[in-house]
Order: sequence, then C-alpha cells, then structure tokens
Amino acid sequence: MLGPDSKGGWRMTNTNPMTIYRTHGRKLSIAALATVAGLWAAPPGAANPAATDAETGQRIFQEKCAACHTVGGGDLVGPDLKGVTAQRPREWLQRWIAAPDEMLAAGDPVATALLHRFHEVPMPNSHLNAPDIAAVLAYLATSAPGAAMAPATGAVAGREESTPALGSGGAATAAVGTTTALAAGTSIAAVGDPEIGKELFTGAARFRNGGPPCMACHSVAGIGALGGGQLGPDLTTVVTRLGGVAALRAFVGGSPTPTMSAIWSRTPITTGERDDVVAFLAQAALFQRPAQAMWQLAGLSALGLVILLAIIGWVWRGRLRDGVRRPMIAKQRKARS
Amino acid sequence: MKIQSQVSMVFHLDKCIGCHTCTIACKNIWTDRKGAEYMYWNNVETKPGTGYPTRWEDQDKYRGGWRLDQKKNRLHLRLQGKWGTLGNIFYNPYLPTLDDYFEPWTYDYQNLFDAPEGDDQPTARAVSMITGKYMDTIEAGPNWDDDLGGSQVYANNDPNLDGASEEERRQMQEIERVVFFYLPRICNHCLNPGCVAACPAAAIYKRGEDGVVLVNQDRCRAWRMCISGCPYKKTYFNWSTGKAEKCILCYPRLESEQPPACFHSCVGRIRYVGLLLYDASRLEQAAKAPQESLVQAQRDVIMDPFDPEVIAAAKASGVPDLKIEAAQQSPVYKFVKRWGLALPLHAEFRTLPMLFYVPPLGPVLAKMNKGMYDTADADSEGLTPMMSALEKSRMPLRYMASLLSAGNEQIIRDVYRKQMAVRLFMRAKTAKDVPAAEVEKALTEGNTNAQEAEAIYRLTALPTYEERFVVPAMERETAVEDLFPALDPVARNYPVHKGEVGIGYRRDPRRGP
Ligand code: SF4
Ligand code: SF4
Repeated sequence: MLGPDSKGGWRMTNTNPMTIYRTHGRKLSIAALATVAGLWAAPPGAANPAATDAETGQRIFQEKCAACHTVGGGDLVGPDLKGVTAQRPREWLQRWIAAPDEMLAAGDPVATALLHRFHEVPMPNSHLNAPDIAAVLAYLATSAPGAAMAPATGAVAGREESTPALGSGGAATAAVGTTTALAAGTSIAAVGDPEIGKELFTGAARFRNGGPPCMACHSVAGIGALGGGQLGPDLTTVVTRLGGVAALRAFVGGSPTPTMSAIWSRTPITTGERDDVVAFLAQAALFQRPAQAMWQLAGLSALGLVILLAIIGWVWRGRLRDGVRRPMIAKQRKARS
Repeated sequence: MKIQSQVSMVFHLDKCIGCHTCTIACKNIWTDRKGAEYMYWNNVETKPGTGYPTRWEDQDKYRGGWRLDQKKNRLHLRLQGKWGTLGNIFYNPYLPTLDDYFEPWTYDYQNLFDAPEGDDQPTARAVSMITGKYMDTIEAGPNWDDDLGGSQVYANNDPNLDGASEEERRQMQEIERVVFFYLPRICNHCLNPGCVAACPAAAIYKRGEDGVVLVNQDRCRAWRMCISGCPYKKTYFNWSTGKAEKCILCYPRLESEQPPACFHSCVGRIRYVGLLLYDASRLEQAAKAPQESLVQAQRDVIMDPFDPEVIAAAKASGVPDLKIEAAQQSPVYKFVKRWGLALPLHAEFRTLPMLFYVPPLGPVLAKMNKGMYDTADADSEGLTPMMSALEKSRMPLRYMASLLSAGNEQIIRDVYRKQMAVRLFMRAKTAKDVPAAEVEKALTEGNTNAQEAEAIYRLTALPTYEERFVVPAMERETAVEDLFPALDPVARNYPVHKGEVGIGYRRDPRRGP
C-alpha cells in the first residue's frame, strides 16, 4: 500500500504515465482517441505564456500526481481533478498542494472531508515550490469547463501508445473478460489471474524483470498463518483501503512510496503481472483474515514460547538462582525452627 | 625436561594469628577503588567455616577447576567446554552473586556532624557502596564467620565437612572440642590455571618469567568466565570498569626485589616467598594424576635446584643465573620439597596451585587430671606432656586431608608426625623434660633427624626477613627482550604478544604537553 513517511502520510516519488491509461483503459480509450484527434487537428505553434506554463504543469502532473489523480479519468486513490480550478478557490488550492499534511494537521474542513471521502489515505506533501504549483494549476485550468480542450489527456494517451513495450492497452482491455473477482465497492472489475498473482506474491513464480516477491515485505491473508514480511503494511484489505481496484492498480503500477520506487524503478513490474497481483489482492476471500488463521498463528506463537522456555530452563537448570549464602542461611533457620 | 622458574609461596598456618593485616595492606594498595570495594585479593578465613565467597569450595555450585575424564585421560574445565562457552557467553549461570561475597558498605559519618539537635545521640547509618542507599540490616561481610569455629551455621556448612558423619559433626560442636584455625588466601598463581583456560577472550595469561597470572585490562571483554573457572574464586569482576581483576602478586614490588605487600606486612610472619624450578614438560601428567597421588605428582614436577642436570636444563631454557641461585636459597623449596611439610590447597581442583600451606597442629583433646588440664590419654601414647596421638587431635585428620592433600590422610599424618618430632626435639633441648629415647622415636616416626629438625625449627620460628623473602632481581629487561624484537622507532613495530610488560599492551611512553 502506502509507504509511510516521517509525517505519517505517504510520499510519491515516481509515477508511471501508463497507469492512467491502463487503469482506465475502457473509459479512456474512446475519449482519448477523440482527444488525440482533436489535438493533432489543432495547430501546435499557438504558443502563449499560459500555454507554456500549462505544458510545464502537465509534466509535473505526470511526474508527481498521476499515480493517484486523473484529469477527467475518474477517481483513483485521489479524486479526478477535472475542473477542480473552478470548484475551489485558487488560494486554497495553492495552500493545499504546497502542504497538504499541514492543512490536515490544522484541521481544514474541506481537506478533512476529502480525507474521509478518499478512504483516509492522506495526500502526501510533494514538495512543490510556488512556480511549480502555479504551473500545475495552469495545467488543471485547461480542463475546467469552458477552457480550451486539455492537451494533457491526449498527450497521456499519445505517450502511452508510443511505449508498446510496456504492454498494449488493447490487450489489457480485452482481458477484462477474464475478470474473476470483483472488488467491493467498485464497479471496475479486476483483470488478471488471481492464481498467478498469488504465485507472484509468494515468490512461487518470478517477476519477469527480477523484482522481489511481494511477500518479502508484505503480509496478506490467504497464504498461510504467518502471512509474509513485516517491512511494508499488511495488504489483506488494501483494495478497500485504497478505494477500489482501479486505485490499487494505479498504485502498484506507479509504486509511489520511496521504498517501493527504490525497488520497482530498477526492476519494473509488467502490466500483466500487475494485473495478476491486483486480481489476487482483490479477491473477496482476502478481505478478512480468517479467524482460523489467527488462532493458528496464536497457537504457533504460544507453542514456540513454551519450547523456548523449556530449552532455556533445561540449558540453565544448574544456575545459581539466589546465590549460595541465602539458601544456606534459610535452610539452617528452617532446620532450627 | 623444560625447566622454568616460578615465584611461589608458603603460608605456615600454625603461625597465623588471624589479624587481617595482610588483607588491609592489600586493600589499601590495590582494591581501594570504585568497583573494587567488595574485592579482597587477600582474605583470611576461619576454618571450619564457609569462607569468602560463601562456600567457595563447593564446585557443584560454582563449577571451578578441572575434572579428569578417566576414560579418555583428558582434563576438562568443570565449567564448560567450547560450545558451553558459546552458549553461555552472555549469561554465565554459575557466577557467585554479590550477596555471596557481601554488599560493601560505609557509614554516613556526616550525620554525626550535621544531625539537628535532638534527644538522641546521632548515629552513622550504614550506606551501601554499590547503591548508595541506607542498609538497615547488614547480613554478611568478607569475614562474617570470623572465629566462628563450631557455629551451627558457618562451621557446620564448611564443604570440607560434607563427608563427615553426624557423630563427627556433633563432636566438633562440643564445647571441649570446638576448634578453628585461620586460612589466609591469595591467588595461587597456579601452574594449570582454570581462570586462564576459561577466558574466551584470552585476556588472562601467566607470565613466563615469574609465573604471575595477570588479567590484561585491554583485552578483557567482561565475559566473567574466569570468575567461575577459578576454583578458589580469586578472580573478581570490577562492576565499574567492567573488567576482571585479580591478585597480581604485587609484581611491581617483585620487580624491585621486594616481597608482595601482604607478605611484607604479615604480623605472624607466616609467609615465605621464593623461587621454585619446575619441569614444564611434565605439568600435564601431574595435573592428570589420580586423586590420591596428586600432591606427590605436584611435588615431583618441582625440581632440585642443586642438581647439575637441572641447572643445565634451566640454563638451556633461558633461566638466568641469578634466578637459579635464588631458587637454591628459596625457603619455599625447603618447606615443599626438601621437608615435605607444605601442601597445596585443594589439589583435587587440578590447577596445580603454587601457594603451599604448612598444616596447623590443631589442639588435641584435653581433660582435667588431678586438678590439672592435661591432654587426653597422653600417657598411653607415651608422648608426655604435650603430644598426643594424632587421632586425639580435635581437628579430624579427614578434615585436614580434604583441605590440603586431596583426601589423602597418609600425607597429612606424615606431615604432622614430622612437625611433632620437631616440637619434641626442641622441647627436649630447651625444657629437657622429654626422655632421649622418646625423642629418638619421634624423629624416626617423623622420618627426620636432629639436623633437619633444627633447620625446620629455625626457618619456622626464627627466620630473618632475608630468609623468608628470597626475591631475585627479575631481570625484566632480558624477559622483555626475549619476547620482543628490538624496537624500531621508525617502523614502530610494537608487537602484540602475550606475556607483555605488566598489565596491558606495551605502549610508547606518553609525555606531558
Ligand atoms: S588461584 Fe589464581 S591462578 Fe589459580 S585459577 Fe584462581 S585466579 Fe587463576
Ligand atoms: S597478616 Fe599474617 S598473621 Fe595476620 S592474618 Fe594475615 S597471614 Fe595471618
């Protein structure tokens, strides 16, 4: 899920521009094609300061925001930001993007409401400076109602199509038909094979690019009593925590936490693998760790403790418990009385 | 034959008056420091008694010394082997607790000056030197059982009485039979030291040139295995520095040709120090001897410093001439080997201790005879008026054998016979009330002669300072040169080697700013 940072939120350092397209393939595909067509139809040379700003903003958005947000692509981990500049005062937006952690800490009512709406996943501080924020806002403004057609969405789609090595959108879309499990509270079906996902998670199958199995750092229900590693959080209910399969897919693909990005930027996960893992994590059976497994775990721990104590007691059975003098005096006292 | 020399000691227990002067001399010089308050490198115990730390001789509890595996003919530390050391490295389960030594305390003297005016005289309450808190009851001290021979708690729990019958115990508590003597103890600077063998950090070593066993304070890693490994409980742990410490036989004094401080200050003049030459190649054999012949085996490794063959071998293995001469003068050699009077303490621990004790002639049973206090059955033995049968000694032979001859009563009997012969011989000479025939008989029984009796008497009763303490020049310079290549001031090749100068590594002299 989210890698904790020092302030208790999470931080995003890497995004994969693909994720937007991949996770919203169905919805986006038609719209994207339309936008691309529109973009290409428009003359590219009409440069003005606002447009340059918007282009920078778009770049920053792809880099820092796109793992959780879309523009017109629907909610992921965070809300769809289409038209957000018209919805909220500019001054509020500036403050919010600059330091969301501080605003949440200060108890800003709008921010708190958003936090609740988006499954208590706080927005991380991306450490953007004022010009960057202005650029991002300029970019977002292009999507506001009445603004010129956003170049961004099209660009996303365009870049997507130019990187076929990362998996073809068409194939993923077609794979929707193989969905085997539905994420609770979301209408988007998980694509991918949960069985393969489980093998990837536990390390029974290898990731193609050599990434470590998820189990090395994460625990999850359904893979035995001990459940996996402790470095990252438990992933049993991650789908509901992040608000749906789409959000989870964006997250896994984008690897936005420092720990995850450190690993997955060097050994990227492929689209198919991502879908399989997400399908595994989205299984309804996983949402609750079965009570039986809990008891199994407790039993194992208790047994281990008893064995350990027995070994310690046996190894040190001859130890001088209270020394020598005290028992000697006590014995003598007892003998006399 | 590989001859080496060792500074060795004899304590003549008949002469010890239990004054603890030796203890105080040592305390003031070496252990009057933070973390060392509870240590007594030299202590004087009353026997029968439980000693310091309580019941230190009980190796079922403390696991000190060596055990002989008769089948494989190998010596094992009673404490543990290599794997045991590894398993117990963070927790040695057989350490004496502070309570087994005693919790050191001082008194709140300031209160005598500062107490507000009141109806009562102000007192100085006891304050723990470890915790700094007031101690309401002091339950133990380093010589808590002092003079308590016959006591139900202390004397009765002496481990040397473990084999005694109920009858013997009862007798020893009878008012007429109650008996005790003093046993001053320091580190024995053993030839097969358990402390050295137990140390996982190789921090303890025996100096080659004089046999002093030392703890390298730089190397000690506070595992505290030596404390268990030593069956005499003569290594201690300094809780402030986190290092083990032990008696250093006042080696700085030895190096300047003086006896150790406890020897020098001894009021009863019971202590003798001198060199012994021993055959290092036969040590293992001696440590593995069957229990009843352990004392004899140890005597056998000590070589005659007048034997030309021994002298040649000693020279060949680098013992300087001065030391060979000193070994010839050694009072220790006379007591231990020539006269066979001094015995190692608890030889059954198999550490080959190099401190020897002349057993005390305990008082014999007495009875009222025609209004006179007289030894029981003296007449029947014919040894009037002061000698009686050994069996009439108030101190059972079995007890002395357990202490000083690994249970071999015959050795104790021989030593006592000789001591009695010397007494009778001198009595005949000075008081002239013993018939000559009886003296003759005693001398024969004691396996001695008039000349030897005279010599024993002189060294026991009238020795001069120079006769008691024969400390040769230690020739540290040759010893150091043997161990190290010449110092190279450019390359600074100071080697790290066992058996270095004093405690610790050899370092450059450090000059002030
Ligand atoms: S008596 Fe001294 S040399 Fe012998 S084992 Fe104990 S500490 Fe070591
Ligand atoms: S100073 Fe000498 S006489 Fe006094 S207790 Fe010590 S050993 Fe005995």
